[in-house]
Order: sequence, then C-alpha cells, then structure tokens
Amino acid sequence: MIPIKYNIRNLVVRKTTTLASGLGLALVVFVLASALMLSNGIERTLGRAAAEDVAVVLRKGSDTELSSGIGSSQVGMIVANPGVAKDDDGQPLASSELIVVILLDKMGTNGVSNVQVRGVGDNVLRVRKGVRIVEGRPARPGTDEVIVGKAIRGRFKGLELNQTFELRKNRPVTVVGIFDDGGSSSESEVWADLKVAASAFGREGFVSSVRIKLEGESKLDAFKAAVETNPQLEAVVMRETEYAAKQSEMTSLFIKVMGIGIAVLFSIGAMIGAMITMNASIANRQREIATLRALGFQRSSILLSFLLESATLAVAGGLVGAAASLAMRFVRFSTLNFATWSEIVFTFEPTPSIMITSISAAVFMGLVGGFYPAVRAAQMNLVQAIRGG
Amino acid sequence: MAEVESPGQEGPNSTSGHPHRAGSPTSRAGGPPPIIELRGVGKVFFRGKEPVEVLSNLNLDVPEGSFEALMGPSGSGKSTLLNIIAGLDQPTTGTARVANEDITRMSDSQLANFRSRTMGFIFQAYNLLPVLTAVENVELPLLLVGLSSSERKKRAETALRIVGLDDRMDHYPRQLSGGQEQRVTIARAIVNDPTIIVADEPTGDLDRKSAEDILNLLERLNKEFKKTILMVTHDPAAAERASVIRRLNKGALE
Repeated sequence: MIPIKYNIRNLVVRKTTTLASGLGLALVVFVLASALMLSNGIERTLGRAAAEDVAVVLRKGSDTELSSGIGSSQVGMIVANPGVAKDDDGQPLASSELIVVILLDKMGTNGVSNVQVRGVGDNVLRVRKGVRIVEGRPARPGTDEVIVGKAIRGRFKGLELNQTFELRKNRPVTVVGIFDDGGSSSESEVWADLKVAASAFGREGFVSSVRIKLEGESKLDAFKAAVETNPQLEAVVMRETEYAAKQSEMTSLFIKVMGIGIAVLFSIGAMIGAMITMNASIANRQREIATLRALGFQRSSILLSFLLESATLAVAGGLVGAAASLAMRFVRFSTLNFATWSEIVFTFEPTPSIMITSISAAVFMGLVGGFYPAVRAAQMNLVQAIRGG
Repeated sequence: MAEVESPGQEGPNSTSGHPHRAGSPTSRAGGPPPIIELRGVGKVFFRGKEPVEVLSNLNLDVPEGSFEALMGPSGSGKSTLLNIIAGLDQPTTGTARVANEDITRMSDSQLANFRSRTMGFIFQAYNLLPVLTAVENVELPLLLVGLSSSERKKRAETALRIVGLDDRMDHYPRQLSGGQEQRVTIARAIVNDPTIIVADEPTGDLDRKSAEDILNLLERLNKEFKKTILMVTHDPAAAERASVIRRLNKGALE
C-alpha cells in the first residue's frame, strides 16, 4: 500500500486548495451538526421536565394545552379517580392550568412576539417538583404577581425581576420571582395566578389542562381508563413524557428537515469542491502516479490511495466543522414553538452520536467527491504519464 | 524446468535473492541464455485514426549481465522498446520474454507484479516523489514485498550508502542537486534487487561531472552486482560506457 504520509504531505504541500476545500466541507458539517444539535436541544427542552408519574389531562381531540379546555367543575371529577397521589392533608396533587398567549415587545428589536402565560393554582409547586425559584420569591396566590422562567427573563420588555408589564390592557402584573425548571420549555413561560389570568382573559370557569401527580408510574393505565371512559368528562389522558414528545415533534422535525436540507445543498458544493481539488492535484501528480505504477503498485492501490487522501481531507474538514459547531452550545436560540405559537428558548445540545454522524457525512462527501478523480488516477495512461507531467 | 538460484544475483541488500529460472526452452547451447528475448515485436500507435508504426518486426537478445546502450534519433522507437522490455507497455505484435517470463501475455496486474520483482527504473527526470525524503522514496518498492518497516529502512539506507548518499537520507528531493536526485533514483532502482535495470536517458538532465558519476555507478552495478542494464541515451559519451551499443532507426535495429 502507498503510505498515507504521502497523501497527508501532499495535502499539506497544497495548503491553499486543501484549506479552501476543507473549509467547504467544514461548513457543511457545521450546518449539519448545528441543526442536529438544535433539534436535539428542542426535544430535550420540551421533554426535560416531563415525568413518567405525571399525567396530563386535556379535552378530547386536543393535542396541545393551548387548544384544550376543561370546565372547572369537571376538575373535581377528574382528580377523584383512582391513582391520583395525595398530599399530607389528603388533598389530591393536581394542578389546574390555563394557557394564554400574549404579545410582548421583544428587547433589542422593534418587533413583538408571542409569550405563553400559564395560569397556575396554589399547589403548582407541589405537583411540579422540578420548579425552583432562583431569584425573588414565589407569587402570592390571588394577586397580580407573576413569576418568569429564567430562559425568557430580560428578553421581553417588563420580563425582569421587579418590573411590571400588562397581562392585558390595564391589567398590569409585577414580576416577583424567576424560576428554573431544569432547562425545560416552562422556562420560556410566565406563570400568573390561575384566577387572575382567567378573569383577565375572560376564561373564568375553564382551565386548559390538569396535571395529575400519580401514585406511581404504573397507575397511569387505570387512571386513563377511568377518565376516558367517563362520558361526562370527554377528556384524554397522556403521560407527561408522551405529551412533551408530541409538543416537540413538529418543531424539532422542522429544524431537522431544514438543517439537513441546507446541509445537503451545501454538500453538493463541498463535494464539487473536493472533486476539483483532487482533480487538480492528480493532474499535477501524473508523473508521480505513473512512477508508483511503474514501481509495481497496482491500479487498485492508486485508487485506494487517492480515496484515502480525499477522505483524510474530509475528516480534517469535518473535525473543524464539528469543533466549530460545539461553540454553538454557548448560543441561545429562540424560535416559535409550533405547538404553542409562542417564543421558546433553546440551546444547541451536542451528543457523541451527532458528532459521529456529522463527521461520517464529511467522510461520505470526501469519498463521493474523490471517487471520480481517484478512478481517473488509477486509469491513467502509464506510458504517457511517466514522461510528461 | 528446474528452479535454480542464478549466480551473481545477490543484490546489495538482499538476504535471500530472487530465485530466477535459468535456461529457457528457446536458449541456445553455448553462451549465457538471453535474459531479454524479443521476437517479431511490432508496435503501432494511433495518431487520431492514422496508424503509426513505431517498431516493426524487431528481434533482440540481451544476455544476462550485459550493459547495453540503445541509441537512435528522436522518434526512432527507443523509449517504446524500453517500455515494452520493462513491462510498462505491450507490443502490438510479437512476443517478449523477459527474465524467462512471457510478458506479452500478462494482465495489467501481473505486469505490475513483474515490474516490482524484476525491474529497476531510472528516469531522465528522476521521478522522485517530492513529498517524501530520499530514504522514503527508496523504501517505496519495498512496500510491495511485505517487509517490516525497520527492515525496509535498513535496506533503503544500505542502497543509499551504495550510491554515496549516506549524509542525505532525510533530505527532500528539492534539497538535492540533480546528480544527487538521480543517485536516489538509482538507489530506489536497486533496493528491490531487480534482475534488470532500465535507464531512460539517465544523464540527459545532468552536467558532465554528475553524468560521469552516474555512469560510474551504473558500471559498478553491472560489474560488481551483475545487473543487466539497458540504457537509452542520446549521448555518445554515455553510450561508450556500455559493453554493447545498439542503434535503432525508424523502428528497426540496425
């Protein structure tokens, strides 16, 4: 076999062209890895705080809390079913929540964007165990106080500790606390008092969803059966993790498809770049190739050698692109969540498998781009090439 | 046909030497058997649709261990003849037996194996790989015979010592003079202990002094290491160093 150092040194010698085509490949890997990281970030953000032992109850036919509505009078019937965990006082651990979307001015731009407001009851922090107040204090029940998720604090006018904004015209509320929910999508929400929110938006007597803490993961089926077979309720029950997966599906798929689409388009350019580089390199090395053949190296060795050279270039480009994409971890990305039409903040979350996929894509591009030049090198006319070039 | 060690084939680096077949079925009684045997060799190229006959019905016997020069005007077919003997090209008609193998019937891959076993190449333009050092260039033919890397290095260093480049082993071709580059090429040509060395205008790009050194080296390889050498040259002074001078004109030996 022709030693790989021959190929590596040739790449090093041709610095400029190697760099140009390597950067082309790096760009594709960067785009691909970033899209996969973002898509992963979305899935994880939306699924992060979801628990296996929490059930979400929505109106039958609704996929999202936003489109769901359950009469307040039905909540009592829902929580009376078997499997619902109780607190020390014997009260069911259930949180009735109302979702509304408001428009707020975005900081740093002239635009406005949707923000999701969740009206929550007094016991929300007992049902949603992962939520912690990281600054300020919890809102007092029944007041115009709200708490804000740490992902959107400061991103909208008024969404900062001790600031005030209008929930609705002439309905000012004050931010008294900032909460953390382990990086989940609720960190992109404003939490207000359930009754205050309901009255502000004329939704008295309705909630969007009920979150039920179950006695255990295995209690879901019995609880689900009891609720869904009750004709008075017309409700559906989902495990919270399942609900979260559904919420992220559309957005994450969109980002993935768009990212991969852009990467595929770029990759055509990158492959042509690799092909041009390898072709030029091989044209310049005709005599060297012919000499190797004369010394007894087979056509297949030449083919393999140039495929390896192209793959080496691709791996180098891929590593650069992948390394650059890791810097995206420090970027926070806000997009519209298609399930709620509200602003939601995501981070790019890398995994080893995303890195491996991206670099493999680079190797694939290198092999495809390098294939034709390598075949040309292997099929070169020995007698002509050995004197010319 | 018996397999015997041919005498005098121990190369400078060889520990075992190649087994060579001695006594071809066509060899005549008396005198050393020809190591190169061409019968009715013709070569036709096509320039567009126009056939051009470069070699016609050529017969040639080269005895083992000789040092022959091939002269002739440009376009007389010297290089084509050399390429056919070296297994780089195949004749359109006729047969070529080299080192007792009929190379006219070989496939592309068999020819590659044949070249690596039997031939050492010296080119006018040296044809060294510019990104490899002198010793790495010399090691190249050894990559085809499955030696350990330390053994390869040892043999390549020995070959470079024979051509007098002990102190230039780790130099890249661009750091060497033309004469030194050609000596690296010679080291590469002998490192595999080939039976035959083909040299196409080995002194064509060199000044008088360097050319003289190269010719001395070729003479030494022939006399001391018993290599059969076939050299194409334009230079009468170079040809003088060979034991036989053959002249080719319009595709035929004179």
